[in-house]
Amino acid sequence: MTGINALLRTPGASLEAEEDFDAVNELLRARGWSDGLPAIPPTAERVERMLAYCDRPWDEPVARMAPRYGEATPLRLAANAVMAGCRPEYFPLLMLAIEAMCEEPFNLYAIQATTHLCAPLVVVNGPVVKELDINSGHNAFGPGWQANATIGRAIRLALVNIGGAIPGSGDMSTFGAPSKFSYLAAENEEQSPWEPLHVERGLPREASAVTVVGAECPHNVNDHESITAEGILTTIAGTMLDTGSNDVFYEAQPMIIMGPEHAKTVAAGGFSKERAKRFLHEHAHLPLGRFSKENIDRRLRITWKEQFANAGPDAPVPMVRRAEDILIAVIGGAGKHSAVINTFGATKAVTRALKTRGGQYAKSVEDFRK
Amino acid sequence: MCELRKRGLVTAVILSEPFLKLGKSQSRVFGVPDLPLLLIPHPLGGLDLEGVKGRAQHAIPQVVDIIKENTK
Repeated sequence: MTGINALLRTPGASLEAEEDFDAVNELLRARGWSDGLPAIPPTAERVERMLAYCDRPWDEPVARMAPRYGEATPLRLAANAVMAGCRPEYFPLLMLAIEAMCEEPFNLYAIQATTHLCAPLVVVNGPVVKELDINSGHNAFGPGWQANATIGRAIRLALVNIGGAIPGSGDMSTFGAPSKFSYLAAENEEQSPWEPLHVERGLPREASAVTVVGAECPHNVNDHESITAEGILTTIAGTMLDTGSNDVFYEAQPMIIMGPEHAKTVAAGGFSKERAKRFLHEHAHLPLGRFSKENIDRRLRITWKEQFANAGPDAPVPMVRRAEDILIAVIGGAGKHSAVINTFGATKAVTRALKTRGGQYAKSVEDFRK
Repeated sequence: MCELRKRGLVTAVILSEPFLKLGKSQSRVFGVPDLPLLLIPHPLGGLDLEGVKGRAQHAIPQVVDIIKENTK
């Protein structure tokens, strides 16, 4: 494997900078290699330490990141991971998340360049959650946890610095979202009454995995009163009702984050995930007449012609086309809350397992250590 | 679009001003930096039929010019 000093001699691979935190940060901001926050200077030594957890050649792209279609090499990703404040052991998970969001069905080009405010959400499952201490409980989507904050931030920096998501040129989001700084949480598998998300999506329980979703920020579902499965699910279905959601106009996969307490109530009522999805699909619909006349005439009657070309104002418009398209993950701590996460719509969730270069499910991030 | 241009077809992208930087960078990314970018007033979304016709009136002369230039 080529050493880092040889790689950095490649034209454009590195630059000289004053050995000073502020000076390096001025340089990064001036070049647009920034999310606006101070960054750890990505020195050769730090980048090399990050790459200690990479079992692939450092200069071979693992993906190309839209819309610039920049080559995501381990070397470049490691520089972004250093800047974000990642610990080296996080690096295999960062690589995995980047690979997942560069798969065709995710539609990264549109996620990055759209005027919509979506960002790639990463949900982590499997043994790696404990190993890397990824927050799946209280404030899992918020601040306070190094793994969540910095892996998510490294993803954003890679999306900007490699993918070219520059506001106003490669990222046309009308106003963006705070989730564009960092958006990563783990499923709370211990508190979930159901099979974990990655198992539901076809992987063995002992695998570690990421599921990426082209997502809006979570929208809270407060239900302190319902004590039945039907009650909780009725409130969630009610929160899904949204005439301004992209998901209405596409074969979308909205995500429901069930707080553990809500999940337990729903499961205790005899609901599997599959049955809960059917309930939500059946109850989350609005009468056509609740949409604006222009949206009815110019979108719904055209996009879903067979259903609505001649439909009257009482015709039900589903918030999701098929029950099986709803994603459910159990995340969070104590409290009678869940969350609805709408998506960009024209995107499919991608789940990918953490595997060594030899194709085996990784038991630990130490499997990647050279 | 860039693939069509590479195959020799008369090709252009019609876009509104806020998307000009994106159009320029994408044409470079796909290896056709001289891809013609035809500007129309922003926005295109949310217009009534008359508004859309107005945008077409902006675009049509530019489209004709591109066709003439490329078929001399």
